Amino acid sequence: MNARRYISRIMVILLAGCSFGACSKNDDAAQIYYSEVRSVDKLALAQMTISKMATIDDIHLEDAEGARQTAAALLDAVKIGNRKAAYSYDTYLRAFIDLSTLTPEDVKVDETSRTITLTLPPVQTEYLGRDMEIREDHYRVTGMRSDIDARERAAIKEQMNTVLKAEVEEKPEFRNRLIGQAKTKASAYFSSLLGRDGYNVNVKFREGN
Amino acid sequence: MKVVSTLRWLTILAVVVLAGAAAAWWYFSPEANRVTMHEAKISDLKPMVRLCSMDIYEDVPIKGHIGPRHIFARAALNGTVTFDLEQLKSEERGDTLIVTLPPEIVEIYESTEPGAYKVIDTWNENFFGSNHFTTEEENTIKSKVRDNFRKKVYAKGYVKRARAEARQNLTSMLGGLTGKTVIVNDPTPEGRYR
Repeated sequence: MNARRYISRIMVILLAGCSFGACSKNDDAAQIYYSEVRSVDKLALAQMTISKMATIDDIHLEDAEGARQTAAALLDAVKIGNRKAAYSYDTYLRAFIDLSTLTPEDVKVDETSRTITLTLPPVQTEYLGRDMEIREDHYRVTGMRSDIDARERAAIKEQMNTVLKAEVEEKPEFRNRLIGQAKTKASAYFSSLLGRDGYNVNVKFREGN
Repeated sequence: MKVVSTLRWLTILAVVVLAGAAAAWWYFSPEANRVTMHEAKISDLKPMVRLCSMDIYEDVPIKGHIGPRHIFARAALNGTVTFDLEQLKSEERGDTLIVTLPPEIVEIYESTEPGAYKVIDTWNENFFGSNHFTTEEENTIKSKVRDNFRKKVYAKGYVKRARAEARQNLTSMLGGLTGKTVIVNDPTPEGRYR
């Protein structure tokens, strides 16, 4: 009798555990797949494509620095075959102005000099995204070396993304060139749009952001 | 006797110092990384005038198989719906500006947020089969995911909403700038899947 009760208790605990597990799994799934649709009012003025490349190769003994690299180089030297590859992909950076911050006061018309002065919102930049696909520029895995699998490629892409973002932060020329191009385009576009009736158009940009 | 004891202690001390030095050498030496990063290069810079009325961010599961080999991954996608204002057709009738909303441009990219693409599992139905996917195979599966996502953007009415909002935004922008009454016509309010 006691044994039966003991077994039924274990069954109840196991079932409770299973149902709890199922609940937490559903919660996890809900948290993993996030979705957001956002209405915006932006004017994209320029787009920059930035290419990033990474290569995979064994560490050569003559290039090794420190204990870890020397140990890895020794290990690589005894492996049979080669494991070399090069991967690249593009990342897209966009320059835009937020039109929702454009107010009627930003357009000033001087009828005497027939001049329109337009003060546009500051040019901002954002990452549009990166290629879903990765380019395999080179691949040579021979002998008894392991293939470069999907998981390793994803990890390399992640590493490339981190380094690329750091480079863009460190080197202002990326953003400066993009913003410069965006300002030139905006000036040309709005001058042509507003200058139709023979007005001179002066386009300025607010500072900020 | 005392000399032997001193020697023993000196040996122990030497071993400890050497082990410490080796540990420090290991600890402070650079990581053994077989991946070399090359400098990022600007491969294109293009000017444009595109009205953007919608940004979409979505995590999507990637499930695909080639024969008995399966892959399961997760990707965060960024989508945008834009309109090329340089293709804008306009006509002036007195104080009224009549414009036609151009076709939408739906762009879908992988997000640049950390961890935007993760391979969760790869397996083979055959016990001894390889679970290796080549880059080309993986890219094919990912491009199908992007195509499906594009279809979903239309099916869920995101494009319809983006076009309606673009009409509003364009009316407000052109009206504010030109001081004219602006009428924006939309020949394809649902969008046109391409």
